[in-house]
Amino acid sequence: MTNPLTILVAASSVLFALGLLAVLTRRNAILILVGVELMLNAANINFIAFWWWNKSDPSHLGPMFVLFAIAIAAAEAAVGLAIILMVFRHTRSTDLNRLNSLRG
Amino acid sequence: MIVPLLLSILMILAASAAVWMAKPVHAGLSLALTLSIAAVIYLVLGADFIGLVQLMVYVGAVAVLIVFSLLITRRRDEEEERSLRPKALVMGFGCVLPLLAVLAYAVTGGIDIKPDRWEPALPLQELGKALFTDYAPAVLAIGVLLTAVMIGAALFARETRKETK
Repeated sequence: MTNPLTILVAASSVLFALGLLAVLTRRNAILILVGVELMLNAANINFIAFWWWNKSDPSHLGPMFVLFAIAIAAAEAAVGLAIILMVFRHTRSTDLNRLNSLRG
Repeated sequence: MIVPLLLSILMILAASAAVWMAKPVHAGLSLALTLSIAAVIYLVLGADFIGLVQLMVYVGAVAVLIVFSLLITRRRDEEEERSLRPKALVMGFGCVLPLLAVLAYAVTGGIDIKPDRWEPALPLQELGKALFTDYAPAVLAIGVLLTAVMIGAALFARETRKETK
């Protein structure tokens, strides 16, 4: 358990679990988005940790994946927050429990 | 070896703050802290460029965007969030604990661990060359995606303004 790879992979599993817990228990839509960001970061840490572990691979696939994942995560956050703010203007709330009708 | 352990512990503490903090703005700031510690982990592991991109894009843009949205949507009845519902907690832990058990089994049992190698950093020149040769289609696709996202977000904002008039 003292190998850095094991520590990092274990930390990223805990991070992923915490993100899932936030998604499942929070009511504020923006805080659910925070949980999604935590889960994305857990995956990114795995990519970098395994790339660091196996440096013989010359294609640097891990950092490439992380680079594209960061770009897509930024896009996802922008669209998600735009949708949440639109819902907020409609209902004056970001509480997902109050969004129980499709016709707004 | 002690550095990744310390950083991991700090990151998990910050992430649990992001999950448990009652006030939304505090949770958003804890998310920024978590992302910064992840950037430090990347720097320690030798992926300098990725660490700096993480710091600029995630901490500088995404986390700040989330904090600003939390400030915009702040309400007086904020303390409702503080009373965590027991039902949601039971369901949440019921889903999360089995997942954590499977991940712990995979981490402790499934990996054949090699000896430590602290090697030099990610060669930036190779990364740049690869981005504009092997990964050129992916870079173009990301460009199209980001343009679409920008137009989409602007469209959302404009349409709602028209409706409120």
